[in-house]
Amino acid sequence: MQYALLIYENEDLYRAGDGRAMDEIIAAHQALAGELAATGVLKGGSGLKTVDTATTVRKTDGQHALHDGPYAEAREQLGGFYLVEVPDLDAALAIAKRIPLAGDGAVEVRPMIEED
Amino acid sequence: MKTLDQTAREAGGRIVAALAATFRDLDLAEEAWAEACARAAAVWPTAPPLDPAAWLYATARRCAIDMIRRRTVRDRLPPDTPQPEATAEDMLASDARLIPDERLRLIFVCCHPAVAPEARAALTLRLVCGLSVEEIARAFLVAEPAMFQRLTRAKKKIAEAGVSFEVPGPEAWPERLAAVLSTLEVAYARAHEDAAGTGQHAGYAREMLDLTAVLAELLPNEPECLAFAALVRFAEARRPARLDAEGAMVPLSEQDPKLWRRPLILEGEALLRAAARLNRPGPRQLRAALHGVWCVRRALAEPPPWSAALALYDLLLAWREDPFVRINRAVVLAEVAGPAAALAEVDGLDAARLDDFQPFHAVRADLLARLGQRDEALEAYDRALDMAPGPAERRWLIRRRTEL
Repeated sequence: MQYALLIYENEDLYRAGDGRAMDEIIAAHQALAGELAATGVLKGGSGLKTVDTATTVRKTDGQHALHDGPYAEAREQLGGFYLVEVPDLDAALAIAKRIPLAGDGAVEVRPMIEED
Repeated sequence: MKTLDQTAREAGGRIVAALAATFRDLDLAEEAWAEACARAAAVWPTAPPLDPAAWLYATARRCAIDMIRRRTVRDRLPPDTPQPEATAEDMLASDARLIPDERLRLIFVCCHPAVAPEARAALTLRLVCGLSVEEIARAFLVAEPAMFQRLTRAKKKIAEAGVSFEVPGPEAWPERLAAVLSTLEVAYARAHEDAAGTGQHAGYAREMLDLTAVLAELLPNEPECLAFAALVRFAEARRPARLDAEGAMVPLSEQDPKLWRRPLILEGEALLRAAARLNRPGPRQLRAALHGVWCVRRALAEPPPWSAALALYDLLLAWREDPFVRINRAVVLAEVAGPAAALAEVDGLDAARLDDFQPFHAVRADLLARLGQRDEALEAYDRALDMAPGPAERRWLIRRRTEL
């Protein structure tokens, strides 16, 4: 089955200091992604730029409106995702636990809709 | 020959588990089982099977396969010709021992940490113990439609999120086994609360004996698992002594040990010894030991094991502070150090947090009564009675209140 692992973190953790946290986490992501790619588990994924670069397109009553900012204002924001193919939920959860986080944060594990 | 009801009770969990493990589909397993029972009700009166459980399993498997076939062709082909009834072929499946025991797998599926905690026990009782949605709803004090929805949601999550039907490897046990044991503890606490053993909660106490036996047999190197199986045995052993002639609850120290079921106690003691030999202490072993120290008593004339119980409560609290455990400890402390010391301990606890906990008021009432503080005792008895205790405990509380 394929799963999306959605990473939610407080972006302030990366803004603090001199950016060392960011460099370390990126290196850790690259190591994990490299390992998952080598075993054929990784199907995609990316880090996302911070939410101050986000633009949200909302459709209401058939009309589109744009606003500057993320879908929802929250302390923790979607900051990146992995797409993986594994046998079952337990395997996906095991990878989710290995995703590097700078501090507190969460990884939401969502099964992807399969195409027959 | 065994009746359908009896066979369904005894073998249902095992059959549903085997179907679920084969087809990796909880809904399909449930539907096929229901269909097999319906066919049995129609066929058995005129053609009794050789082995009722084997017949049900063989028929349910056929039903499941038919259902899968119908699902795959439903949108493309005209309706199937009706499938033949279960016949000679199924009758030949004559040995229930051939039904694989997949209950452990199913327990791990139902108690997966990805399933909402409030649904785990319900799902286990439904699928592994075969309780009806109505029975489970009543045991958990939830309306039947709400319980039905909770179960449906949990089954959908399991199917859609790709929960594995394998027993997890030992590296995952600390997390997975803890989820299983705490789920079964919740389920058993409900069964045990009902001292009379006539209500719906106690209805599955028997199934809990079976389930914990399966767990202990399949995970013999997990001490907490063995300890929980021991606890259920000690507690169930005392069931015949828990009510007096008037149907009132009998406190543990006043129960006649001659009425306790010795074979269950011996089983419990063997399990607890096996757990201790593994040399990995844990809170469940202490809880089981708390039951165990009472079960060595052979007659009312023997002194109650108050000091041993107090020492065990202290160990349990050293493991983790817990105001609910402190309430139970106070009952023992009253015997060792006197009711005044016990009341001081109880009144030192966070009353706001314990206000909804019925034993808090029942224990306070008893201690106040023994200290001669009549008005406060009456008030505490009333609080305890307000909280809808089971019929046996209600009778007991009313009696104590009247004696004041």
